[in-house]
Amino acid sequence: MSPFARLRSVRNVLIAGVVVRAICWGATFALSMLIASAIVDLHAGLSMGERYVLTAVNIATFFAVGGTLLWRDRSVLRLHRVALWIEEQDPTLEYRLVTAVETRREAMVANRRTEQWSSVARTRAGRAVAPALAAMVVAFVAPSFVPASSLDRVLRPNPGDALDGPRRPARTASRLTPLVAQIEPPAYSGERPTSVDEPSDLRALVGSTITLRGRGDAKGIVVRTDSATIATTSRGDRWSMAYKVGARPIALRLTDGNATRIVAIEPIVDNPPTVLLVAPAHDSILRTPHGRIPLTADINDDFGVATAAFEFIVSSGEGETFTFKSGTIAAKRLDARRGSIAGVLPIDSLDLKPGDIVHLRAVARDANNISGPGVGTSETRAIRIARADEYDSVAVEAAPPADADKSVISERMLIMLAEALQNKRSSLKREAVVSESRTIAGDQKRLRRNVGEIVFTRLGGDPSGEEHTDDDPPAKAKTMEELLARADSATNVSGAALDFERGESPVVAVNKPLLEAYNAMWDASTELEVGEPARALPHMRRALAAIQKARQAERLYLRGQPPAVVVDLAKVRLIGKDKGSASKRRPLTASDSATQARADRFVAIAELATRVPAAAADSMLLLRIDVLPDNPALAAALSDAANALRRGKSDDATLALTRARRALSGAPVARDSLARWGIVP
Amino acid sequence: MTELIFATAQYESGDWDSAPTLPANIIDTIARYTEIAVAPTGAIVPLADDRMLRFPFLYMTGHLPVRFNDAERRNVKRFVERGGLLFVDDHNHDIDGVFHKTATEELTRTVGPLAELPNDHPLYSAFFKFDGPPTTSHELNGWGDNLVHKHLLAYQRNGRIGVLYSNKDYSSEWNYHPDSKRFQSVDNTRFAVNLIVYALTA
Repeated sequence: MSPFARLRSVRNVLIAGVVVRAICWGATFALSMLIASAIVDLHAGLSMGERYVLTAVNIATFFAVGGTLLWRDRSVLRLHRVALWIEEQDPTLEYRLVTAVETRREAMVANRRTEQWSSVARTRAGRAVAPALAAMVVAFVAPSFVPASSLDRVLRPNPGDALDGPRRPARTASRLTPLVAQIEPPAYSGERPTSVDEPSDLRALVGSTITLRGRGDAKGIVVRTDSATIATTSRGDRWSMAYKVGARPIALRLTDGNATRIVAIEPIVDNPPTVLLVAPAHDSILRTPHGRIPLTADINDDFGVATAAFEFIVSSGEGETFTFKSGTIAAKRLDARRGSIAGVLPIDSLDLKPGDIVHLRAVARDANNISGPGVGTSETRAIRIARADEYDSVAVEAAPPADADKSVISERMLIMLAEALQNKRSSLKREAVVSESRTIAGDQKRLRRNVGEIVFTRLGGDPSGEEHTDDDPPAKAKTMEELLARADSATNVSGAALDFERGESPVVAVNKPLLEAYNAMWDASTELEVGEPARALPHMRRALAAIQKARQAERLYLRGQPPAVVVDLAKVRLIGKDKGSASKRRPLTASDSATQARADRFVAIAELATRVPAAAADSMLLLRIDVLPDNPALAAALSDAANALRRGKSDDATLALTRARRALSGAPVARDSLARWGIVP
Repeated sequence: MTELIFATAQYESGDWDSAPTLPANIIDTIARYTEIAVAPTGAIVPLADDRMLRFPFLYMTGHLPVRFNDAERRNVKRFVERGGLLFVDDHNHDIDGVFHKTATEELTRTVGPLAELPNDHPLYSAFFKFDGPPTTSHELNGWGDNLVHKHLLAYQRNGRIGVLYSNKDYSSEWNYHPDSKRFQSVDNTRFAVNLIVYALTA
């Protein structure tokens, strides 16, 4: 082996020694810290957080000690420092080896014996490692003198290991402390079991099994709910009890002699799936029962959807005779928290008749086999087949516009013509203006005649009776009422004068605006005849507004407002032959009595909190259980307050109690007056 | 105190207006036997409209499937929680019909499960004395299931009926003009008085 090769070999031996020594001392210090932590925990009982910190400190100690040693001996990595160390061990070299390394002239030490360098290096490394290795062996052996459970608590802190903590002196011991709760969710949820140390307020999925465990024998330990006692069992030096979480919040009261403890259990309800029917997006009416309608739905669930499908019901018939048939489409197993289904509704194969309605929705069921399955449904879509006699109302056939609609179009056009004429009036000669204005007047007159015919036709009179010829116009009615009365008289609708003050019949309501339009058109055509389009325009616009009003009236009165039956109460009051009597009444409790009772309890608890915080925290948990179903905000605030009291943080408790007070009393509401029932404003 | 307005519930999915003359008939009956201040005409109130909460009693009927939308479901739940009485009558008088299936499913989902109402419930003695729900001619004439339904169904909250569900088809039985009462030897609408009195006083 050449001198330089030997030198590198020596360096490797030294490096190995340095590394092993660093690891050994690091492990020794870390193990020592661990043993010290376990001993402290054994006597003082460290919290889980403190144990997590100590674990981190142990690991840090290992790296700090080892790293420090490695850093201190980092020079072993450099070849010339190793050469110097060899020169120190063998002075006869007289710096030739160092010079050879620095000048890279190996020939300077070519004739030296190098075997002894390796043996010196091995010896030096062994001396350095031996004490560290011995210390580490001692550190590994020492934990066997500490309880394994204590070491485990420090090495692997986890919820539920409170039972492995230090035991209290027998004189003050209660078997209710320490207490560990293990929550095992139902299998269908796929959730993992969890443990809680010293539980006071637990949340668990309905159907979960909560197991409370403590030290000692079960004899004498009583666990009660409001209505039942739960059995406790012993196993080894531990007692335990199991409770299946139901749908209602509950408080478990644990008693061991004079010691009591309350564990509140809040059930988490498995919500049914939410289903969104994406397609079809709207209700629809089909003219014929043919075609295929694509279906799509999106589904979400908190723990998992088991199955989903589209459901349809076909209702046929009318009046008192209805028949139904139903079915499902695109049933699918999902087994996931979210998903979607798709399918097609084959209208042809449903054998639908006019008037039939297909009620369609998507339905999903979750995997809840404890309190379910939860069923979620989408909004329902109705797909109706139109009847032949309702085409006008469903607008499935093209049709010409109604008469009044045509009049609207015509009047609007005449207004535009008149406005155009007015705009270019300054550039036209007077004769041209008059000529064009008279042309518009002619159209206005024909339109007026059409409106008059509509009114007379509806009133059952002679369409031509309103106006025979252009040469023989009837005298213009002085008022609209006069004209309508004239029309009414002509058709013998009624012998009495129409009463416009106390409400209008449909006939009047529809035709009155048309007659207003008629009068306005008359005034407009008069102005147009003399070549004054500017003065005609206001009348024309009044006519247009009146026609539109008539169209709205038609919609209101001519399309199915059911006849209202007004009971003559004075006439029928107490004329019934049978005489009943109101049964004896139970006194009604005030609607807010429950709120008041809670408020009283809350005040008592708040007072108790200043004197006996632990008892107040228990009372808060009991109140929390009572209010949980209908006032979750109050329940949450009470939970926070109880936890703060247990931790001795009075400021946090005060803030939580303030929130609770607001949740209890509700936000201030300003009202002008007392609310009334029975009136739709 | 204001007068009672007989309110018919309007819902999106079905033929809620299938008994148009019933409200007037019941208003007539209330006036005929009691001194309850009642409005001479009824009101139609959409279940999706918050104003439905202002009525103490709501009448709901139909033949077709009942599927509430979200707003209807939310309001019905609030209505019952606030002490209102929703009277739902199957106009299809068919115990296994679609109205029954869909309405009971929807009501169960909205407020809670319906249970048979005992025939000695205070409802049946709230004004007139009945041994249970009065039968209707529609139950007996073979139109529907040809069964006499012995009980009404109800959802009760804090010992009070919040939803009363009937398969008896009172909607057909009571759906006539009040003037026609004079042709009947026994007024078949008297049970409606119990409903109203119970809704206002229980």
